[in-house]
Amino acid sequence: MNLAMLKPGEKGTITKMGALGPLKRRLMDMGLLVGEEVQVEKIAPLGDPIEVTIKNYQLSLRKREAEGIAVEVVK
Amino acid sequence: MSVDVAELNSETSSGLGLGAAKRSVTVAVAGNPNSGKSTLINALAGTRLHVGNWPGVTVEKKEALFSFDGKEVKLVDLPGTYSLSPYTQEEIIARDYLVHERPDVIINVVDATNLERNLYLTVQLMELGIPMVMALNIYDEAEQKGYRIDVKAMEQMLGMTIIPTVATKKVGLQDLLDAALEAAADPARRPKELRYGEDLEAAAAAVEKAVIGAHHGLVERYPKRWLAFKITEGDERVLSEVNLGGIDAIVKHATAHLAEVHESDMETLMADARYAQAAGLTREVLRKPESKKKELTEKIDRIVLNRFLGIPIFLAAMWLMFKLTFDVSTPFVDWIDAMTAGPFKRWMEVLLGFVGASDWMVSLATDGVIAGVGFVLVFVPVIFAMMFFITFLEGSGYMARAAFVMDRAMHAMGLHGKSFIPMLLGFGCNVPAVYATRTLENQRDKALTALLIPLMSCGARLPVYVVFIGVFFSAYAGTVLWSLYVMGIALAVLMGIIFKRTLFKGDAPMFIMELPPYRMPSFRSLMIHTWEKGKHFLIKAGTYILAVSILVWFLLNLPWGVEQRKDSYLGRMGQVIAPVLEPLGFGTWEAASSLVSGLIAKEIVVGTMGEIYVPKAEEEKKNIPTFAEDAKEVGTSFIGAIRDSAVNVVSGIGISSITAQESLNEQEERSPLREVIKDQFTPLSAYAFITFVLLYMPCVVVAIAMKQEFGTWKWFGIAFAYQMVLAWVVAFGIYQGGRLLGLS
Repeated sequence: MNLAMLKPGEKGTITKMGALGPLKRRLMDMGLLVGEEVQVEKIAPLGDPIEVTIKNYQLSLRKREAEGIAVEVVK
Repeated sequence: MSVDVAELNSETSSGLGLGAAKRSVTVAVAGNPNSGKSTLINALAGTRLHVGNWPGVTVEKKEALFSFDGKEVKLVDLPGTYSLSPYTQEEIIARDYLVHERPDVIINVVDATNLERNLYLTVQLMELGIPMVMALNIYDEAEQKGYRIDVKAMEQMLGMTIIPTVATKKVGLQDLLDAALEAAADPARRPKELRYGEDLEAAAAAVEKAVIGAHHGLVERYPKRWLAFKITEGDERVLSEVNLGGIDAIVKHATAHLAEVHESDMETLMADARYAQAAGLTREVLRKPESKKKELTEKIDRIVLNRFLGIPIFLAAMWLMFKLTFDVSTPFVDWIDAMTAGPFKRWMEVLLGFVGASDWMVSLATDGVIAGVGFVLVFVPVIFAMMFFITFLEGSGYMARAAFVMDRAMHAMGLHGKSFIPMLLGFGCNVPAVYATRTLENQRDKALTALLIPLMSCGARLPVYVVFIGVFFSAYAGTVLWSLYVMGIALAVLMGIIFKRTLFKGDAPMFIMELPPYRMPSFRSLMIHTWEKGKHFLIKAGTYILAVSILVWFLLNLPWGVEQRKDSYLGRMGQVIAPVLEPLGFGTWEAASSLVSGLIAKEIVVGTMGEIYVPKAEEEKKNIPTFAEDAKEVGTSFIGAIRDSAVNVVSGIGISSITAQESLNEQEERSPLREVIKDQFTPLSAYAFITFVLLYMPCVVVAIAMKQEFGTWKWFGIAFAYQMVLAWVVAFGIYQGGRLLGLS
């Protein structure tokens, strides 16, 4: 299960950061760290990118970038 | 000079504390994007702000020099960053400045409504060991939300003075500067050293001992703790800068155990440790009410980013902005145009007549210099209006939403969601469009957008289309006109895909963007930004444009005593170029010369054609207005322009209707030209010609805008080259293809 697969309104806990290099660093700098809870808020009208809430603020990222973030769904 | 004094003093006074008060203090302002940093800088420095670029890059640099409390203060605005990683241009600039230029004090602007993520940067800044103060900004909004922040406790934990501020209302700024100068006066007062846990501290200590212990010189160049952690972290930039043999082995030795135990890399462990500090601090000092109340931003986004409404709302907002930008400015543009061509020109003629200047001097002064100045000035209203709206979109938070909504479509052609707005502005005028690329953070996105903007058919090309369409295609004028705009867009998509795979191969820019809460930008900040950009254009671009305008005058009027246009330098250039245009159906020196003159602005193509094709009729002996009449006209027509501008905004007369009407009027006057065009062109070659005008080289003002935005002529060079080839190939295809199909 990865972040791009969550539906709007669904929450997940990050279990692994699969991205590499600058992309991974950037995601981590924005607060996407293992153990963090992240909620998908919206999907853009054309289907990409997505909006998530992380660390109490809103962040948008493309699905390709979200695919590398493994999550476990929080009920 | 004051800077030298500061550097000198910072060495001699370091041990003396307050006693040897320094006369000049360098204050660096650092913070996250959207933390209100710009507004804070504007409020602190106001009109003393100097906007330029960081050396060698396109990132904006703002500085201000002023005295405060008997001291010279040099305020340096660092680019807004979330971190100090070695991967983005902004972060590299910020950290290189902090590490190598060593400001006397850092003002860290922190968004009080978004404490944890902002403190992540604070934690990294603290590693540098430079005296720091914090502006806990947007404090009013945090209070409104019911946040309670224990500022005293936070000061204790971080070891720095913290001032709650509201930059938009200028609250707390005096105290902030006081605190900053106080901190700067005592270099011994550094922020606390936050500990990152035993394992990491041990690894960094090992690195420090092995590397720094063996190379004492490094301590003079880098803050010790910062360097130790950067090496431990495996920071590419620092590693290549210090460039020590065997360093990899040392780091590996110090960290191998750590990485293994945690099953992770050092960069991740460091990010975790820093965020753990930020999160811990936030937990300690912040009390939030447990409310599930929907916030305003959330409510607006429900509509603005809605699956069905998102795109229509975006398009409506863009249409409004486009209209406002060009409708507000058009009456002023027309006024400037009329004034420079009328009264100002006449006054100059009279003035020069007094001093007994010869005819060619009068011509140079009026047709060269005054026309050139007018040409610079006509851009000013458009650029001011555009900068105002762009700044508003950015400051309010909507720009990020626009990018979010459009990214999918723009990404297909290798662009970023934010590229849409500059491209759209291009239909009005390519010049402000190029300046608008500064809203893109990534150099690649910026360059690619700027390269494609000239394919957006701007308003200056319309008069050329109108003349030719009027002569050959009046029965289906709308369709032909529409085909040109669509062709421009289609070719932009095509070129975008080609550039993505060639020139910009390999780079895959990210789209990881904060969607900040909606906020009302302060009017003062808006005005300062707008004024800075307008001024910048006037002074820097204005000089170039004036020079080119004068150059073209010489091309038209040299060699001395040239009688016929054909023999002028411009005419000769036309003769040389004409054979190249032969296969396109318009290989005459007249057409070629007109195209060359279009370098200044594409609408000039029509004017030059008029001059070349139609022998100069005897100048009508009009009633020349008196000075008083002229002066009155200048005033009344300016008031008229203000009225028209206001009316345009209210009534919704589109820019296109104004321009089209105007062009129709001009057409009437140019009926002799129409007769000649009818003789010289066929419908097919006419269509090839207007296609060529659509696509060939950007005008000189666009060239200058590109140079200004990118600091190099490189991108203009590429645009020039590809557009020339593209224009030739497409016009060739149309003309030769049409002939094969039996058209003429």
